[in-house]
Amino acid sequence: MEFAELIKTPRVDGVVLHRPFMPTVEGTLCLTGHHLILSSRQDNTEELWLLHSNIDSIEKRFVGSLGSIIVKCKDLRVIQLDIPGMEECLNIASSIEALSTLDLLSLMYPFFYRPMFEVIEDGWNSFLPEDAFKDLESMTDEWRLSEVNKDFSVCPSYPPLVAVPKDVDDDTLRKVATFRHGGRFPVLSYYHKKNGMVMMRSGQPLTGTNGRRCKEDEKLINATLRPGKRGYIIDTRTINVAQQAKARGGGFESEANYPQWRRIHKAIERSNILQESLIKLVEACNDQSHSMDRWLSKLEASNWQTHVKEILTTACLAAQCIDREGASVLVHGTEGADSTLQVTSLAQIILDPACRTIRGFQGLVEREWLQAGHPFQQRCAQSAYSNSKPRQEAPSFLLFLDCVWQILRQFPCSFEFSESLLVLVFEHAYASQFGTFLGNSNSERAKLSLPEKTVSLWSWVNRPQELERLTNPLYEANSLVIWPSVAPQSLLLWEGVFLRWNRSSKCLDEAYEEMVHIIEYNKELQNKVNSLRRQLAQLETEDPLLQTP
Amino acid sequence: MEFSEHIKTANVEDVVLRQTLHPPSRGTLCVTGHHLLFSDREEGSCRQVLLLLRNIDAIEKRISGSSGTISIKCKDLRVLHLDIPGMEQCLNIARSIETLSCLEAVSEMYPFFYRPSNASLQDQWGLSSPEKHYSQMTELHDRWRLSTVNRHYSVCPSYPPAVIVPKNIDDAMLEKIAKFRQRGRFPVLCYYHRKNGMVIMSSSQPLTGANRKRCMEDEFLLQAVIDGSDKGYIIDTRSSQQALQARITGGGFESKSGYSSWKRLHRQMERGKALQESLIKLVEACGDESHNMDRWLSKLENSKWLSHVQTALSTAGLLAECVERDGHSVLVHGSEGTDSTLLISTLAQLIMDPCCRTLEGFLALLEREWVQAGHPFQQRCSHSAYSHARLQQESPVFLLLLDCVWQLWRQFPLALGFSEALLLRLATEAYASNYGTFLCNNQQERCVLRVKENTRCLFQALLRPRERDGYSNPLYEPTELAIWPSVHPQSLQLWRGFFLRWTPQARHLEEAQEEIRNMIIEWGKLALS
Repeated sequence: MEFAELIKTPRVDGVVLHRPFMPTVEGTLCLTGHHLILSSRQDNTEELWLLHSNIDSIEKRFVGSLGSIIVKCKDLRVIQLDIPGMEECLNIASSIEALSTLDLLSLMYPFFYRPMFEVIEDGWNSFLPEDAFKDLESMTDEWRLSEVNKDFSVCPSYPPLVAVPKDVDDDTLRKVATFRHGGRFPVLSYYHKKNGMVMMRSGQPLTGTNGRRCKEDEKLINATLRPGKRGYIIDTRTINVAQQAKARGGGFESEANYPQWRRIHKAIERSNILQESLIKLVEACNDQSHSMDRWLSKLEASNWQTHVKEILTTACLAAQCIDREGASVLVHGTEGADSTLQVTSLAQIILDPACRTIRGFQGLVEREWLQAGHPFQQRCAQSAYSNSKPRQEAPSFLLFLDCVWQILRQFPCSFEFSESLLVLVFEHAYASQFGTFLGNSNSERAKLSLPEKTVSLWSWVNRPQELERLTNPLYEANSLVIWPSVAPQSLLLWEGVFLRWNRSSKCLDEAYEEMVHIIEYNKELQNKVNSLRRQLAQLETEDPLLQTP
Repeated sequence: MEFSEHIKTANVEDVVLRQTLHPPSRGTLCVTGHHLLFSDREEGSCRQVLLLLRNIDAIEKRISGSSGTISIKCKDLRVLHLDIPGMEQCLNIARSIETLSCLEAVSEMYPFFYRPSNASLQDQWGLSSPEKHYSQMTELHDRWRLSTVNRHYSVCPSYPPAVIVPKNIDDAMLEKIAKFRQRGRFPVLCYYHRKNGMVIMSSSQPLTGANRKRCMEDEFLLQAVIDGSDKGYIIDTRSSQQALQARITGGGFESKSGYSSWKRLHRQMERGKALQESLIKLVEACGDESHNMDRWLSKLENSKWLSHVQTALSTAGLLAECVERDGHSVLVHGSEGTDSTLLISTLAQLIMDPCCRTLEGFLALLEREWVQAGHPFQQRCSHSAYSHARLQQESPVFLLLLDCVWQLWRQFPLALGFSEALLLRLATEAYASNYGTFLCNNQQERCVLRVKENTRCLFQALLRPRERDGYSNPLYEPTELAIWPSVHPQSLQLWRGFFLRWTPQARHLEEAQEEIRNMIIEWGKLALS
């Protein structure tokens, strides 16, 4: 096998492992093609199984002949391995470096992973566009499912099936696709049952400097408006950025050509700025100095919370246009694969109670991120510790999860899932044994035959024991629209991700367990009361003597 | 009644009350000697807002045309707006509020008039007394005695009549030592650590002055405290620089030569005015509506409040470490020994002693360490964050304590028997209350005004069955272990429950807590039936 040549020293004895909040373990370190394993061969100590793809960067240190490798993971954990023998240490380090940065998708672990659990429901078939469309059909007949992209030729980053207005035919769509960045013509993202308003998303229009227009594009988006109604275009870039985009062939919808649409510009940052923000934030979180001022000013300087606020604000705006103004909305930025998806998916969390269930949330991630063509492979190639030059990396998805967490925190009873689901999805987006987040688009996933060759994360999640762990014990279905507060004072740092390895969560976990226990016991007792009441009622009807007072 | 002369307009109809989290409502406004009462007259709703005038920190009036608006900013940080028709009425009301909300005479305050039907003045006042406390702590009796040298408050006006001191120090010596300590606050016992017999003592600074005066009795007393053990620690809540400077004004610190077995540790804790200003800045930041994240975070940083929380908790941690881990006795003082001293000795007891972490235990701790030990509540809490009045003796030390306790509670959600609701209630009551507990600056003043005979006790009220349910922590599981808080800046959070209590986002969190509470009550009922 080709991994073998990368592994010069497959095992070392007497390695000492330091992990946050766990006792140190001494044992044998083994390197396999996909894992770094440390085993002490004792029953009561936990082994370490670390995916190479989870490793963001490593550092080596030497004291005499004892070497240490500090492993920094994409899930933000930092562990240390003390390895006796300088040569062994260097070998291990170079192997880890090589194995953790393999570019070839087909060598990734998901292609080798065989599930040790029974797959009850194949996650690859759980959230198909045609099923989602059936739900839509039951509410409206104004939309159709187009197969124009079935061979991914019209828009490589779109799925084969997309929902478009009924009156717009495939030829029109092909023309519109040439007018939108990356071929990302406007498609349906969300239908608001309450008032029939819709949210669409697309790439920027390619107006360029000479103000090119496209009648078909205008026709398409106007087809989503009710007679006499106006719609809103939410451009996730500032007006300046949008103007500058014209020089590179991009642009925005001018008032002259789109008179029925009002354009609103917001300021969601672009990818490399977000990546830098993440790096600064994580650096601040790991700062060991005891100065409160320093922490707060580093937190401020990272700008992370500002990004969270901007994204949430824009999502609220989109939701407001739809729910309160009764208007349809088109969302786009430049490519329509990052900030656009943050806004459309968060707006759905706000508007649609179904997205706040465990299954609904998976469906949302599947629909608005995976099928909508967020380039996970590129965006999540590196996390906050990497020293290599950032290319296409950006924590767009992590920011989305952070925003969901903010809403969840403000509405602790309105979500069926708990924070754990968000953390789980974050981890798997960056490194996973499952194939769900591999590739950048549906077409790439189809080429790799992921559904046939890998296991879906959702197959793992949708099993009773896992669902139980991810359920929010306080959940009480809330059919209302939930408006989060976006005041800076209301937004918190997401400790569950960013301080997860810096502070022990033992006491908090215990409290959570206790709460779950109380709630379960309460349910049990309620059931008992109900059955006793039933018995009593039955006895009363059987025994007429008891009926009369 | 003397209040009536301050009330020119007692009743106004057609007043509109505006308040966050509530829709505006129209009704009648009444001003009485102690209250502002708003009652809604609209059909179907019967909203009443009864506000203690004492709770009002500042008001602003705006007159436009023939009507006016009074904005009322409360000491519990709530803000209310009243639209009052009629300029004269509006001005009258505003004037009444201004005068009545800052009446100086304690004996005219509401606690002296509050007569709830469910309690009589014969009920026990207070949870314990120094005498009772001493008699319960039998393990103390070998080496410690209860001294009544202060029974007439003549030795130390801010101490209770009875205090615990080393057995071999007689009253005559105490009187001498009192002269050597600021305001007579000679070293007394605050806490006895059962596990190893070590103690926490508190006092005020020694009056060594520029010429390094010494007091043999004081040295003797401290020697008696360590008795047999090799050394003790003195935690001075001022920096060594500040302690040196204090000599010029007659204060000072325990020198190496006079107290050779004691090791001094200096930790600079902010006090007085600086704390009050920090609170003002923080509350201003919390009310900032600019929606700018950078601005919020830098204002939060500039207020320094979280730094004060951090310092308090880490100094308390140091104190607890000396006693629990290092196994040595500690004397704590700053300058007067009535603020930061009490703050850290209280926190250290919560960290180490499981008995202080129950609802009763915590209230008893507050009674002992704050009310009886002479924290000047009257001076410290006469104004809160909104007041425009010139600062005098105001300082939110007690609030800082509650914030630190909240941080503990957040880090150890199972270890404390009381809930955040209790801390919020105490934060409100310390500034304006129906009860007499936080009136006056010390026991002597309370004695003179006969507070015990003429007012109700808050702590007793909080322990009545119905109230108690609301203030217990449903998740409480006692632990014998010390609870060591993390004082990393990343681990400390703004106490949103208090500082952002009246903002819209608080509502849903309260709902969730309510939900848990209901569940517990239900559970309790079911378990009984």
